[in-house]
Amino acid sequence: MLRERLRTLPRTLPGSSDRTMDDRDYVEAAREGDDGAFAALVQRHSGGLHRAVARILADESEAWDVVQLAFVRAWQRLDRYDPKWSFATWLYRIGTNLAIDVLRSRSSRERTHRAGSEHHLRVVGEVRGASDLADHREVDWLLDRLVEALTPQQRRAFVLREIEGMDTAEVAQALGCSATTVRNHVFQARKTLRQELERRFPEYLPRAKRG
Amino acid sequence: MQCSEFHDTLEQYLDDVLDESRRESFRGHLRACPECRSWAIGVEPTMVFAAVEAPAPNPDRVAACTASVMAQIRQQRLARDLRPRRRRWLAAAAAVLAAVVGGVGWWVAHDDRSPVPAAAVEAFDPSGQPPLPPRVQVNMPGEGVRVYQFADDEDHDTAMYYIVNPALES
Repeated sequence: MLRERLRTLPRTLPGSSDRTMDDRDYVEAAREGDDGAFAALVQRHSGGLHRAVARILADESEAWDVVQLAFVRAWQRLDRYDPKWSFATWLYRIGTNLAIDVLRSRSSRERTHRAGSEHHLRVVGEVRGASDLADHREVDWLLDRLVEALTPQQRRAFVLREIEGMDTAEVAQALGCSATTVRNHVFQARKTLRQELERRFPEYLPRAKRG
Repeated sequence: MQCSEFHDTLEQYLDDVLDESRRESFRGHLRACPECRSWAIGVEPTMVFAAVEAPAPNPDRVAACTASVMAQIRQQRLARDLRPRRRRWLAAAAAVLAAVVGGVGWWVAHDDRSPVPAAAVEAFDPSGQPPLPPRVQVNMPGEGVRVYQFADDEDHDTAMYYIVNPALES
């Protein structure tokens, strides 16, 4: 019966403001075997999850692999989803956990390669103050080069709370820790990022703070 | 949120003591007002990471991701649906084989008139039709296909799968 109802209702497309179908409705239908409902969840959340995972990994392409794996894992565990939390929070928990696994498995050779490319980009790149950074690409570029100074949990907390703007309670659920711990992770992450900015990219600091 | 209120609120934002609605309002002003954005980043450089709008997802990448995820799900469901049926078939085949072997053994042990077991004669009977291989059928709801699994007695572990449109069978 629910499946029939879903077929007659409009589904949300990416970028649409139509919220007729709630995520929990889609999850319920997907549990009953409706692939269209699960596909709607992928369409709705893959972009946001990719953005968060790419910032944690500092790798756009690898982030799409993690996003796909996260959705497949979510489908395998749909019966474990607790509707008292939003589907997005649950999904971000799965996705960012996988991202942390990827971080831990990366070899030191990859990190060396990244350090080399950073030097090249700094040489050819235009140097401006951080307040002039125009769009997300430049900010992402800067974050990519700084994020390795953070612990995995600090990365997750800072990206979800400070960049994605999620509630503290949602971030706590996604990280599996308390709200106080989330605040502590964000505080420590901010402190480390500020120090790294000052040390490695003084050109991005306001003129008054440059050495 | 007005500019003056924004200036007064930055410290509370950094201490993460704002309620969620005021916090959202603060972030909205940070993105909308260039002067306040510049001032806030001057005070705390890491505010740059909260200052840019999230980019809209690339629709082509989202579509490709969705197609890939759904293909992986269909593949996993197919494997899951076939596995228990195959186990049941193997269990049934093992039971039949055990019964035949047991029956033949009993017959050989208790009847010395015929040295050749009947089952062996049947296996080499040139006039008989070869037995059909076991067939397992799986309906894939929503896919509009059926999956048939074929295997013979010599090859229990390797099966061949045929995906068939039911409309072509009638």
